[in-house]
This record gives sequence, structure tokens and C-alpha cells, in this order.
Amino acid sequence: MKGIKKSQLSNFLQQVSAKYSLYVPAQVDGVTRFQKYSSEREPFLTANTQLSPKELFFPQTEQLYCYETHKQEVKVEELAASSEPQVLFGVRPCDMQAIGVLDDVFLGKGYEDVYYRAKRANTLIIALACSQAEATCFCDSMGVDPAFAPQADLMMYETEDGYLIEALSDQGKDFLQEFSSALEELRSEKPQAPACELKAETDGLVEKLQKMFEHSVWAELSRKCINCGTCTYLCPTCHCFDIESKTRGGKEVKFRCWDSCMYKEYTLMAGGHNPRPTKKERVRQRFLHKLQYMPERYGKWGCVGCGRCIDKCPVNLDITKVIRELREVEA
Amino acid sequence: MNPLVPIIGKISKIVDETPDTKTFHVTTSNGKPFTPLPGQLAMVSLPAVGEAMFSISSQGDDHLEFSIKKVGMLTEALHDAEVGQEIGVRGPYGNGFPLDFCKGKDMLFIGGGIGLAPLRSLINYCVANREDFGNLQVIYGARSPADLCFKEELFETWPKVRDMRVDVTVDKGDENWQGNVGFVPAFLEQLNPSPEGKVTVTCGPPIMIKFVLQSLAKMNYQPDNIITTLEMRMKCGVGKCGRCNIGSCYICLDGPVFTLTQLNQLPNEY
Repeated sequence: MKGIKKSQLSNFLQQVSAKYSLYVPAQVDGVTRFQKYSSEREPFLTANTQLSPKELFFPQTEQLYCYETHKQEVKVEELAASSEPQVLFGVRPCDMQAIGVLDDVFLGKGYEDVYYRAKRANTLIIALACSQAEATCFCDSMGVDPAFAPQADLMMYETEDGYLIEALSDQGKDFLQEFSSALEELRSEKPQAPACELKAETDGLVEKLQKMFEHSVWAELSRKCINCGTCTYLCPTCHCFDIESKTRGGKEVKFRCWDSCMYKEYTLMAGGHNPRPTKKERVRQRFLHKLQYMPERYGKWGCVGCGRCIDKCPVNLDITKVIRELREVEA
Repeated sequence: MNPLVPIIGKISKIVDETPDTKTFHVTTSNGKPFTPLPGQLAMVSLPAVGEAMFSISSQGDDHLEFSIKKVGMLTEALHDAEVGQEIGVRGPYGNGFPLDFCKGKDMLFIGGGIGLAPLRSLINYCVANREDFGNLQVIYGARSPADLCFKEELFETWPKVRDMRVDVTVDKGDENWQGNVGFVPAFLEQLNPSPEGKVTVTCGPPIMIKFVLQSLAKMNYQPDNIITTLEMRMKCGVGKCGRCNIGSCYICLDGPVFTLTQLNQLPNEY
């Protein structure tokens, strides 16, 4: 199988970055996330990134349109959605599955989000199979193969001498053709998929949760949550956003920014009514959205088992333990 | 077409409904911004202040109407606006009332306070397409006579429509009030309209809806023939931003109109 020798990786990345906007996993200021490639920036390929690649399609803040107001007049000026061809190198199978979830949300159900589509349609994704599972990884419980990402354009496997690479989409094939001079025949075999030690038993979970909305277990499960929202910002599938204005400066700008169902203000209506007034309702919303509502609406889990929320939750509210408790109590 | 960017319209007329509610007529240089179905929603914005989802309470040939109660920052700014003010509008959003299901049937509308606003779009549709519907009845209540919305339609226009009756109640009367005094659910039971061949559409404060539904059950109305319209906080209007999510539904797309049968299958979180 063709591949890239480890000693040739930076050469390959430089060639790609000469033609495309290339993003690679890298450590910057103590945080691992997808960063624009530069030759001084060593790709971080030993584990998944702390921040998910969702920010490349759905940035934390994103300008929507400009407006000007003068006395009774209002003028609106649309901003062109950005569309620079980009390549994402090293996306893990769990995060690729999550991008598929975001595709369903932003591109499906009747309305296309033009800002998301512009970036997504112009992105080629090279996924990287995982060769080991972290202690917080449980993707194989959520239907993800840690060694294969069927929705990616290209699939890459790390071996002793390099990275095997195969095309999964037509765009992927074209890409391999384009950079064929940087590839060579490697003798190594595809590595075996790692097994996650952490497990979540999901058989029959949706059906059980459909009967558990009013269950007393939610008060218990939410007790230690401090509604900080960290889980929602780190989650590769969480996509809730707010729309706000920047009212300082010359031309005023409407932008959207990540929001979180963990906050009281998220559902608070003018007039004071709040359908999710306490953390019990908000924690229930987060877990039911991932484990019942998304499967019902889109036919796939809203959780991909990446384990970021488990790793970073300040009160150790572990979604696999939540699933276990939900399974153990009487519906 | 980018669904998040508003079209700019102009407030062409403002009607004072109650001390805290005004109806705004909105038009553009090309006539009405779009043609909604009764019960659909639109995002209305004063870009420098904010944007929120409102039901479209009626429409004319060249304008949309929004009946807006002053409850927060945006609605206060709208109440301060004068005729000629340009505003952003985008939509229409949501499913609207099931017109085909309602056609040929008697229609009973039960509203409380500003909850008559979304019903009004359907009431006026029924009035404009009178031959498509059976008898029409509106039962409406507000806290006081001054708080009654759409007084001209309630007391002048609608009672004159063929086979249409309007029954109005207030929680507390004043020296001039000659009508019924009492809450909507009790008034409904007192009037006791027969459920036979009827579709009931109700909207009002949550507490009113709760007791109206109890009364309707007592009077043998079936959940398939009871329709209501929900309200949730919204930002995008197109099922992406997440906040109007109830169960597997997004109220901006799959709602805001639901039959009681559908509502009973959703988590009780609205």
C-alpha cells in the first residue's frame, strides 16, 4: 500500500500546504487543536486533540452580516461565506463521525446553513486511524470504528515506518493523484483496531429513555453538575449557537457564537418564563439530546465517544457512568 | 438564499391594542415581505437591539401584522418605534395551522390575553374564506377590559360575520364593563359548546391552556381535534441553533402548531 515515510511527513505536509490551506493537529499554548500548518509546527499525532475540529466548520464566533442604522433607516449587507479550499490532516474517526452529525444538522432538514456549507464543501479530510485508545475513549460503544472513518476522503494508518494512505472518496483519489510523487510503496500492514477499555452499553437505550423523561434519576444525576458548559464547548457534535451584535466600531456586525444548553439564559424567554429553569432540566436535556432526541431525529447518536467531556469535566460527570445508571434504574 | 439574513421592511401603521400591546403593520417596497400561512412565525429585528420570533397575527395584500406585547428589551424598543421605522423581518417559519384538516368543520377559538394573536391569523383566514368553514366561535378573555386585544374585530367585525359568534370575558371588570366576568376555562364550561364536528384552537398563558384543556376533556373534546401553538426562545428559526428543541422536535420547524395528541407525545417542557 502507498504511504508516507515518517521521515518524509513534513515534506509531504509542506507540499500540501503550498497548494491548500492545511490544518493539522498541533500543540499551541499548551492546548492541542487543529492549527494552520507551518514548517515550524510539529503535528501532534500521538493522541486526539483536546479541542475538536468542529471549529473549522463552525467557528466559535462567526460574522453573519453587517448592518447600519441611521434614524429610522436600516441597511443590511450580507457577508460572503468564506470558501478557501482547505485540507484537514489527522482527523480521528470519532471526530469524523461527529462531522457527519454536524452535516445532518447544518445541511439537512430543509435549510442549508450557507456559512457551514461554504467551508464544508471546500474541505478535504484525511482521517487518521487510532492505534491506541486513551482511558477516556469509548467510541466503539457509540458505533464508531477507531481504525476507520468511512465519511472521510482519505484514510491514513500509522505503522512502524510511516503512514499508509488510501482514498475513500473521488476527491480523495484526485488528491492522491495530485501528490503521488510524495508517496511511496510501504511494506507494512494496516495495524489492528485498538479496543476501548471504557464501555457504554447502548442497546435499547433510546427506547428506555423514551419512558424516562419524568424519572427521579435526573435530580440525582444532575446534583453535582455546576452548569459550567465545558462539556458542550468541547463536544464535537454540540452545535447550539446564539446570534448577537457587535455594537462598537464603525460598521456594526451580527455574529453567531457557540452557546450552551447548560445555561439558564439559553431558554429564558422575555417575560420570565423558562421551560428549563434548573440544572435538573438542563442536564436532562443534554443527555437526552445526545442519547434519545438525536437518534430519533437523525438516526445517529449525538455522542461519538471521544471522551473529551469525561476528561475535562471539573466534577467528573462521566457520560458512560450516566448511561450505566440510566440502564440500571427501573424505567 | 441565506435564511439568517433579514429583509428590510418598514412599519407602515401602528395600532394601540392595550396599554402594553401594539399591532405593527410591516411592508416593503415590493409589498409584504412574504406570504405566510396562518399560524406561521417570523423573526423580527431592530438590528441594533435584537431579534425575536413572533407569530404573524394577520396579513393584508401588502403587509404583515405583528401584535406585540411589551415584555423585554426588543419589544420595548419596538413600542418606542414610530411609523416609518425600518425593521428586519425573516421567515416565514414553522408549520402553520392544518388548514386542510380544519376545512369544512366548525371552528372554536379559545384565547387568553396576547394568546389571541396567533389565533387571529387563522380567524381572519376563516373569515376571508368563509365558505370553506362551518360555524365560527371565538371565546376570549383578558385580565381587564383595557387588556382586551383586537377590540374592533372582537366587537365590530367578527360578530357581523355570518354564523360567527364572539364571547368575551374579563378576569376583573370596570364600571363600564357589561360582559362576563370570570376566567376563560369557567366561561368555556358555562357556554358549553358541543364538541360535535368541531376543531378547537387554543392559545394563551400556560396556566389558562392547562385549565382549558381540562375543561375540554370534561366536555368530551377529543385530543385529535384540539390544536395549540407553542412558544420557545429561538435564535435561528431554521432548526440549527438548538434552543427550541423539545424532544425530537424543533418548534421553529416542526411546530409551533401541534394537536393535543402530538403534544401528549412530547416531553412536557415548554
